[in-house]
Amino acid sequence: MNGFAAYMSRKLVRLALLVVMASMLAFTLVANSPIDPVTAYLGIDRMQISQEQEQLIAERWGLHKPAPERYLLWAKNALSGDLGQSLAYNEPVATVIAKRFTTSLWLMASAWLLSGIIGFALGVLAGLYNGSWLDRCIRLYAYTLAATPTFWMGLVLLACFSVALGWTPICCATPPGVSLEEATLWERISHLLLPAATLSIIGIAQIALHTREKMIDAMHSDYALFAMAQGESRVGVALRHALRNIALPAVTLQFASLGELFGGSVLAEQVFSYPGLGRATVEAGIRGDVPLLLGIALFSTLFVFTGNAIADLLYRSLDPRIRIGAQEAS
Amino acid sequence: MLHKCHLSKSCFSLCVLTLLLGLVFLAAPQAQARDTLYLAIKGEPSDGYDPTLGWGRYGSPLFQSTLLRRDANLDIVKELATDYRLSEDALVWAVTIRDDAKFSDGKPLTAEDVAYTFNTAAQSGGKVDLAKMDKAVATGRHTVEFRLRERDSNFINRLVSLGIVPRHLHGPGYARNPVGSGPYMMANWTEGQQMVAVANPYYYGETPHFKKLVFLFTDEDTSFAAARAGKVQVVVVPQYLAVQKLPGMKLHPVKSVDNRGLLFPMVPNEGKKTATGAPIGNNVTSDIAIRKAINIAIDRKALAEAILEGYGRPAYGVCDGLPWDNPANKIEDGNLDKARAILAKAGWKDTDGDGVVEKDGVCAEFTMVYPADRAIRQGLALACADMIKPLGIHAEVLGKSWDEIKPMMHSSVVVFGWGSHDPIEMYHLYSSSHAGEGWNNPGFYRNLAVDEHLEAALSAPEYKAALENWKKAQWDGTTGANTHGDAPWAWLVNLDHTYFVNEHLDIGTSQIEPHGHGWPITANIQQWKWVN
Repeated sequence: MNGFAAYMSRKLVRLALLVVMASMLAFTLVANSPIDPVTAYLGIDRMQISQEQEQLIAERWGLHKPAPERYLLWAKNALSGDLGQSLAYNEPVATVIAKRFTTSLWLMASAWLLSGIIGFALGVLAGLYNGSWLDRCIRLYAYTLAATPTFWMGLVLLACFSVALGWTPICCATPPGVSLEEATLWERISHLLLPAATLSIIGIAQIALHTREKMIDAMHSDYALFAMAQGESRVGVALRHALRNIALPAVTLQFASLGELFGGSVLAEQVFSYPGLGRATVEAGIRGDVPLLLGIALFSTLFVFTGNAIADLLYRSLDPRIRIGAQEAS
Repeated sequence: MLHKCHLSKSCFSLCVLTLLLGLVFLAAPQAQARDTLYLAIKGEPSDGYDPTLGWGRYGSPLFQSTLLRRDANLDIVKELATDYRLSEDALVWAVTIRDDAKFSDGKPLTAEDVAYTFNTAAQSGGKVDLAKMDKAVATGRHTVEFRLRERDSNFINRLVSLGIVPRHLHGPGYARNPVGSGPYMMANWTEGQQMVAVANPYYYGETPHFKKLVFLFTDEDTSFAAARAGKVQVVVVPQYLAVQKLPGMKLHPVKSVDNRGLLFPMVPNEGKKTATGAPIGNNVTSDIAIRKAINIAIDRKALAEAILEGYGRPAYGVCDGLPWDNPANKIEDGNLDKARAILAKAGWKDTDGDGVVEKDGVCAEFTMVYPADRAIRQGLALACADMIKPLGIHAEVLGKSWDEIKPMMHSSVVVFGWGSHDPIEMYHLYSSSHAGEGWNNPGFYRNLAVDEHLEAALSAPEYKAALENWKKAQWDGTTGANTHGDAPWAWLVNLDHTYFVNEHLDIGTSQIEPHGHGWPITANIQQWKWVN
C-alpha cells in the first residue's frame, strides 16, 4: 500500500506541473494572438461606441493591465477556485464549462462506448481470422476510417441520413421548441446518433487495429498452441484464453484515447450544431475569451490526465504482474 | 414483356414512395399549431439578454420595453414614455412614463426602475454608450430626469434603444433570466441551440397573436434545410439563396442600410505611422480626382444585380433613406467617360502605354482588401476592380482577416460595411477628431466645415434640429463628406435582408433594417398574424 501512496503522490505532482505549464502556454498563446477581444465583442457596434466607452469595457475585463500581471491575477484566483468570468458568455467560467460539459458528456460517453465495443469486436474477429477476406475487409475499413477527417465524415453522414433520407435530425441536441429537460429519452438519442457515430469512428479504427495485433500474438502464444494441441477449437481458444489477455490493452488504449475524443468532439459538435463544450471552445477562440480558454485548457488537461491515470491504475489492479514488477524494482 | 412488367412494377412502387414522401412534406407545415412560431433568424446574444450590457439595440428587446421606439417609417414614437421634454439648455431630459406598465412578475414599472437601468448601463462597461450622461434621477413615481454632462442631441437614441430592467431583480444572473415589461417573457434558453419565449400576461399593450415564439440558433445551411422541411415559419437566408423556392413560404425582402463601401485613405504617404506602427496614407487615393473618378465609374445597379441577385439597392451614403440622410448624395454613376475626363483634367495620363495612368511618376495602383470570409465583399471588391480598370486604375484585390486588415486600413482601400439607426455612426466615420482612432475614420478624413456641422449636430438643442446638421455634414451645398464633396468613401450597395416567411404569416410592414446581428424583423412582432 505504501508503494501505491508513493505512486499516487508522484502522479499528483506531475499533474500539478502539467496544469501550470498548460495554463502558462495557453495564456501566452492567447495573449500574443492578434485577436482584440474588445473589437471581437463590439463587432459592428464599433461605430456607435465612443473611445471612453471602449475604455470602460477593457476595464471591466481587466484588459488594461499588462499580460504577466493578468496571468498572476488569474492564477491567484484560480488557486482559490475562481476561474474568472467568461467574456463571451458573461457568466462564471466554471458555470459555462459545467453546463456545456454535461451536454458534451452524453455525446462523448456514447461515442466512447460505441468505439470501444465495436472496435474491440472487429479487432477480435480480424485477429482470429487473420488473413481471411473478413480480416482484409476489416483492415481496409479501419485504415480508411483512420485516414478520414472527423468533420468530413460528419458532413457525409449528415448529407446521407439527415438531408437525403431524412431519418435523423439535422442539428442540435433536442428537437426545435423542446428544451433539454422536456426532451424524451428517444428524442435525445435520435439527436445523438449521428454525432456519436461520427465521433466514434476514429476510435473504432484505432482499437480494432491494436486489438487485431494482440489477438494474432495471443493466438500464436504458447498457451494457445498448447490448448489447441489438446483439441480445443480456435474459437474456443479465443473465447476462453486469448480474450482475457487482449482485453486489458484494449481497455487501456480506450482510456488513453480520451484526448482524441475531446479533440474530435470540437469538430463533431461544430458540424452538428451540438451545443456542447466543443462549440464553446471554438467561440472562446474566435472571441479572444482568455478566461474561458484557460478554463477549458485546464479542464481538458484534467480530463485527459484522468483518462491516462485510470488506464494506468486498471493495468495495476487487473494485471498483477505489473504490481509485482514495480515492487521488485523498488 | 417480362422486362416491361418488372419496370412498371418498380415504377409503381416509386410512385407510391414519392406520394408518401410528398404527403409527409405537405402534412408537415399544416400540422403546426397557429399560436406557436418557429423563427431561424440568427443573432443569439451569447452574453445574454441584459439591456444594460447592450441587448436589444436592434429592433426590439422583446422581453423589455423602451421609453420610445421607432415606427415603420423610423419616426420616433412613445412607448413607455407618455411625455418627454428637453430643458432650455438642452442638458436635462424630463420623461413621464405610463402608470400601467408592469414587469412579467407582476410588479409595477416605476421611474426608479428607469433611473436604475440608465445609471447601471452607464457604468457596466457593455455596448451601451452613456458616457455623456451624468446621472438619471427619479423625480416622482412616474417621472424621471436624465442629466447630461454636455449637450448631446443623440441621447434620444438611448431612450429609443435601452430596454428597462426591474431594479428588484437585476443582478449577475439577470442576463440569463430576463424579466421585463415587453410583449414576451423568456420560458427557456438552451444556449447554442434555441430560446423559447411566451406571451407576457402583464403586458400593457395589445396582446400579441402568437403565444409562443421559438428562436432557433442554427447555422445558415441548417436553418435553410429546416425551412425546406416546413419546420420553421421565418428564416433569414443569404441573398444568393433568396432566388430559390421554398415550399409553402414566400420571400420577404426588407430594405436595409446594411451597406458596403470602399474606404479611401485620404492623406498622402509621408512615412507616418500610427502609435501601433501601422503605415498612414496612400499617394494615389489621396488625390480627390481618383476618388471621384472611381465613385462615378462604378455601376452600383450592376453590383446589386450581379452580386446580390437584385436583393439590394445602390448606396450613396452611409444612411440612405434614414431621417438624417441627405437626398443630394445621389450621383449619376456608371459613367466611364465622365470619370476619364476627371482623371485627365487632374493630370492622370497613361504615358507608357501599360494601361495604367500615372501622374508625377506615381502609378494609379493600390491594394484593395476585404475580409476573406465574406463572399459578398469579395464579389464587390473584384467587380469594382474590374469596373475601374478601363479608367487605367489598377486595384490589387486581397482577402485578409480583420486582424490583418487593421494595420493595413490607413494605407489601403478597404471594403467596409456599416449602417445603423443611430446617426452617431456618421460622427465616428467622418469627424477629424476621431481620425485613425481604432476603426473610427481610418482614412484620416479631415474637413473643417464637416467637423463644424457634426459638432453642431451633437450639440443641437433637440433631435429634429440635429437632423439638418447631420444632413449638412454630408453636403451643405459647397462641401461635405459625400461624393460631390470630398468623396472619402465610395459607397456601393445597401443589402436587402432576405427572409422566407410562411405564406400564412402576415408580418406587416418592416422597418428599414440596420446592419447587425439582432432581430430587427421582430420590431413589430405584436402586429404579426396568422391568416388562412
